Amino acid sequence: MKTLKVQIVEQLNLQQIKPEDIGDDQPLFVEGLALDSIDALELIVLLQQKYGIKLANPADGPQIFKTVRNIAQYITDNRPK
Amino acid sequence: MKSPIYITGLGVISSIGDNVDQTLDNLRKSRTGVDEIKILHTQLKGTLPLAEIKYTNQELAQISGLETWQTRTAQLSMIAAQEAKDSCKIDYSEWRCGFISANTVGGMDRTEDFFKEFIVDNSKGDLHDVVNHDSGDATEIVADKLGMTDYVTTISTACSSSANAIMFGARLIHNDIVDIVIAGGTDSLSRFTLNGFKSLMILDDKPCMPFDENRKGLNLGEGAGYVVLVSERVMKAEGLTPLAMLSGYANANDAYHQTASSPEGNGNYQAMKGALDMTGLEPSAINYINVHGTGTPNNDVSEGMAIMRLFGEKPPVFSSTKAYTGHTLAASGGIEAVLSILAIQHGLIFPNLRFTTQMKEHTFSPQVSLIEGSKVDHVLSNSFGFGGNCSSLIFSKA
Amino acid sequence: MKPLYINGLSCISPQPTFGAEFPFEAKRYDSNRLSCIEPDYAPYIDPKASRRMGRLLKYGTTVGLQALRDAGVGSPDAISTGTGFGLLDDSGKFLKNVTEAEEGVVSPTAFIQSTHNTVSSNIALTVGCKGHNNTFVNKGFSFESALLDAQMLAEENAAMKNILVGAYDETTDYSYTIMKRLRLIREQEIANLDLLQTPGSGTIAGEGAAFFLLSTEKVDTYAILHGSEILYKPTSTDKVKFKLEAFLSRNKLVLSDIDIVISGLCGDAKRDEMLGNLNDNYFTAQTILGYKHLCGEYMTSSAFALWLGSMIAKTGSIPAETIIRDSHRLTSNILIYNVYKNDHAFVLLSK
Repeated sequence: MKTLKVQIVEQLNLQQIKPEDIGDDQPLFVEGLALDSIDALELIVLLQQKYGIKLANPADGPQIFKTVRNIAQYITDNRPK
Repeated sequence: MKSPIYITGLGVISSIGDNVDQTLDNLRKSRTGVDEIKILHTQLKGTLPLAEIKYTNQELAQISGLETWQTRTAQLSMIAAQEAKDSCKIDYSEWRCGFISANTVGGMDRTEDFFKEFIVDNSKGDLHDVVNHDSGDATEIVADKLGMTDYVTTISTACSSSANAIMFGARLIHNDIVDIVIAGGTDSLSRFTLNGFKSLMILDDKPCMPFDENRKGLNLGEGAGYVVLVSERVMKAEGLTPLAMLSGYANANDAYHQTASSPEGNGNYQAMKGALDMTGLEPSAINYINVHGTGTPNNDVSEGMAIMRLFGEKPPVFSSTKAYTGHTLAASGGIEAVLSILAIQHGLIFPNLRFTTQMKEHTFSPQVSLIEGSKVDHVLSNSFGFGGNCSSLIFSKA
Repeated sequence: MKPLYINGLSCISPQPTFGAEFPFEAKRYDSNRLSCIEPDYAPYIDPKASRRMGRLLKYGTTVGLQALRDAGVGSPDAISTGTGFGLLDDSGKFLKNVTEAEEGVVSPTAFIQSTHNTVSSNIALTVGCKGHNNTFVNKGFSFESALLDAQMLAEENAAMKNILVGAYDETTDYSYTIMKRLRLIREQEIANLDLLQTPGSGTIAGEGAAFFLLSTEKVDTYAILHGSEILYKPTSTDKVKFKLEAFLSRNKLVLSDIDIVISGLCGDAKRDEMLGNLNDNYFTAQTILGYKHLCGEYMTSSAFALWLGSMIAKTGSIPAETIIRDSHRLTSNILIYNVYKNDHAFVLLSK
């Protein structure tokens, strides 16, 4: 999850935030980090570029990207073997 | 209200025709221009459809009379603007004439070829491919050829660009800066735009289904559409028969999000309401709405909500002709202005192709079959874009 | 058309024009590419929003917001802007990504930002301006079209009291390299302050943003904007004179009323031919100022000239480095005459 946080900060260019400041269960969208729909698209790009996971429907984003723990779980479940 | 602005000529090129006659014929026969990719050089060939004009740049140059190395954006503009100009029997040399165009891509279709070599070695790449990059270039090339240079400018407000060009043209006439304006817009397909929309995940990999519950996104298209706008004085002096009047227009901003529309369609509502207020008509006087209707989940919900707010639960007959032409971006307002005027001229309402299921958010659904012999006196045409730019035009029987 | 009052303004450029003293001390560059002196954006743009923004979007937005603050206007009734190339850096970035990824997976942000209307819509979004919003992209006419748009709006609709108008452009590594290859830029490096004294082949590249709050009401105003006029490809100086005199006469002025001409000389002998000729033989009684050696050449540099003219009208002082010929006139009526290739444009303002 530590690597994932670094990748998120980098992909979204979150200059004001240190990766270690993001809680595993902190909400990423709306409240918490208050990311938006463009960030969701950026996270989809991250999953594809770094983990080879293709998310076909952007509407699934909000569920998967709720917290860092959710994303990590999604990666574990869907990573191509 | 100042004296009306008349439309006396039309010109159009898109995936459903090289000119007004072909376009009308294909509209009547419900023939879509959305097809597998044949012309654009792209790795995405075979993965999704586009609404291309099935000519190479060399073939377009033969029709337009421009040089083969000039941009596709300029070629399309030239063909449609020339058709519009030639369709009116006006002695243009007697009047102050302007050309107001719109585009978003400029010369990107050539620049991206240039870039392949340039990013590897910046001393490489044919400079011919990049000299026409900026958006104003296509406009000035065409204005020169048309000989309409008393006022020349270009608007780029994403997908509402050419509606704003038509509006600006009308205002130039109202404010006595010119007498005649050819106004509209052009955009050609490029890998840049295609991959841009792909990265936003709003492209449908099948032919698009605007205003359908199961819609998945838009299909990109290309083309150009122009109208000839004249003052009452020109119309009388030249003994012209108007095709329609531009009776209302408005430009508003949603000020909600960079790429998305507010769920309740505030900007859309303001644009439509503003245009309607200018005409002094009741909402019920509108006979047909040519909606923006891109087929993206977001646009169609917002636009429908705004229509419901303005027109109530039973709005006028409406359809998205983007199921025919694809979304031609900066050209869409110009092309759809031409289609709206054809609707008035021929008493036609065009079907919203491929529609099957009403959206759950709306109490209405689009027109699915061609209506002929209809009374079409007032048509509302919507163009909404990124950056919250929302514009509406109303055309009326003259 | 009715004149408008310039009640607020702001400018970011390669010179100390943002929030500094006027007349400013001109900054010397020994490079043929001048870049903006960028301020701290934090007082204008929320860091969370700025993370996705390129340089031009940041300085364009900042200047727009500062012009509003300067005029004490929270949100204008309309926004109209001009840009030659738009957000060129984001366009280049996205194009590079698409090309290198061979149309594979790419991030959408640069594409979103690359749209020409990004600055004007971002300002609308920031201040919640739901009115008319336009962006013109026609080379040397981009800014003047926005000025005309504003003036027509005020004429058409009495409710249009405050209109924000501006222009912005940037030079990027890609565009500079291409301009050099096209020989639009001087081959040898030249000190910017010497540019106009040593005509040669090519100019220097520049960039910048300037915004103006134009109002139908006079409140602590900088200058009165009478109007603008464009001339596409005038073939002779006679045509220019004819157009200019008609333009002045519509504004109830004659040539001898003009005190200062801010001239769009760019240091390229060929491109400056007509302007130089007019300065020597037509604008003989006027004080002639140059500005492109200060901000560099770019499609919307006339917005820098309007900022300069407005400051001169307000303060009555002229930055020494702008003076090409001093005729010791007042600073009452100022004509900006810019040329960008085929596009000639006049802007008229007064004290």
